Amino acid sequence: MRKYWEIAKLSFKVQIAYRFDVCMSMVATAASITFAVVLWGAIFGESETVGGFTLDQMLTYYVLSAFLAMLDMSGGVSSEIGDRVRNGTFSKYMVVPVNTQGYFIAQSAGVTGFYLTFDLAAAVLWTFLFGIRPTLTGDVALIFAALTIIALGLLFMVQFNYALGLLAFRFLDIGPVLIIKGNLIAFLTGALVPLSLLPDWLTAGIRLFPFYHVTYLPAMLLIGKNAGEAALGIVTLSVWLLFITALNTRAYGRAQLRYDGVGI
Amino acid sequence: MSEIKRNLRFIGTLISLRARRLMAFRLSFFAGSIVDSSLFITWLLMFSAIYGRVDGIGGWSRGEMTIFIGTYSLLNALNMTLYFFGVIGLPGKIKSGDLDHYLTKPVSPLLRLTFEKVDLGSAPLILVSVLIILAGVAEANVAVTLCTALGYIALVLCMCVLYYDLELILRTIPFFVISASSIERLEGAAFEVCMRVPGTLFTRGFKILFYYIAPYGVMATVPAQVLTGMATPGGVAQALGILIVFTAFSQWFFRFGLKHYKSASS
Repeated sequence: MRKYWEIAKLSFKVQIAYRFDVCMSMVATAASITFAVVLWGAIFGESETVGGFTLDQMLTYYVLSAFLAMLDMSGGVSSEIGDRVRNGTFSKYMVVPVNTQGYFIAQSAGVTGFYLTFDLAAAVLWTFLFGIRPTLTGDVALIFAALTIIALGLLFMVQFNYALGLLAFRFLDIGPVLIIKGNLIAFLTGALVPLSLLPDWLTAGIRLFPFYHVTYLPAMLLIGKNAGEAALGIVTLSVWLLFITALNTRAYGRAQLRYDGVGI
Repeated sequence: MSEIKRNLRFIGTLISLRARRLMAFRLSFFAGSIVDSSLFITWLLMFSAIYGRVDGIGGWSRGEMTIFIGTYSLLNALNMTLYFFGVIGLPGKIKSGDLDHYLTKPVSPLLRLTFEKVDLGSAPLILVSVLIILAGVAEANVAVTLCTALGYIALVLCMCVLYYDLELILRTIPFFVISASSIERLEGAAFEVCMRVPGTLFTRGFKILFYYIAPYGVMATVPAQVLTGMATPGGVAQALGILIVFTAFSQWFFRFGLKHYKSASS
């Protein structure tokens, strides 16, 4: 366990060298919130509530979802695996005495830990700058449930991105897949629009998948909505986590045999 | 006239060379189209969800918003097909000193840079965009006359030039600084906002920012307004004025940048 703690600490420290990326991460959050302010400002000019949301609740939702989306720094896992497989340097992970999945989880945890403070500061800063009146819940149980789901969701996303990265062992170039994944994930996690605005049958279907619980559900819990889904969220994410961990272990075992370590 | 002919023949040669190179990577040939189609489809889904709850957004009905998204998709498709991959290579060439090879050839360096990486694999996105626009026209129940259709096409082409101007201006900055990656990322953020909401929804500071400083808010909005009959002569004139100013500035700025080119890699 200690070596994974060291990996996480090292990843945390490495981020200090990339201060500029931190600023850009904050700017990206602003883009998402600007979009929400402009779009929903126009919509709420004509209606008091939309889909059960008031304007303040809607904007708070976007601040929270933007914060959670920026907190997930695991996207780099799949691109790093993809790049290294393609240029033949993935051998680095095969020779070090650590579990590869564990390595990437620890690495992402370190990066997320570093960004946590800055993303939180950005969320608070934009909330004040855009004059948003946050409507957060005071229910401790809901906050605790949301934090648990956020932790499970972040863990799932690392595993999910790791799984996508393993595709590089078979297809080499996974760049387009990763961009399409980004577009779809933004929609499925509710980062573009609250999922409760979708038709009920579609929301019911999406609820079975983990992405619903990664961003949308914790953001809703934190604004005091969907309280009845907290337990379901924890169970669903836990089941998906077990499934994807087993899948990754099996897939990596096969990928190792396929890997030639030469690159193109 | 003979120079135009010569330049067109040169562009034809560049496209032919590029197509041959792209054919070597058949699997990735249509990657750009597929990737960007997925982006615009998710936005259509997003607006579909919103319009399931409201009748209009700032005076834009569902069909009109579909036309707006289709127009942005069309601009993006033309950009990707014609000049995007060429223009984005400029900062790297400045940094590495490779721009020397462009300056020593008997043809405009900007012309070669612009069209040397035409991406035919992105062309299907043009068709997808047209289908989105046609779906929007049908839904908005817009009566499209030959006059509005021609006006729309002319404005889309004009806004394509504006899009090019903005890309070129930002990628000319590396002539003066070591790295402009921060500016490019800001461009991405501005683009992300303006692609999702019509420019008419912007007010106060956002209006000034996205109309006059970084006019991404004008690009799809004005052509979409022309097609839907929402445009005013003043709005169209304003868009054309912005286009003229930015085109003149981008050309001057590039020439000014070239004078500061050190021809040394870093």
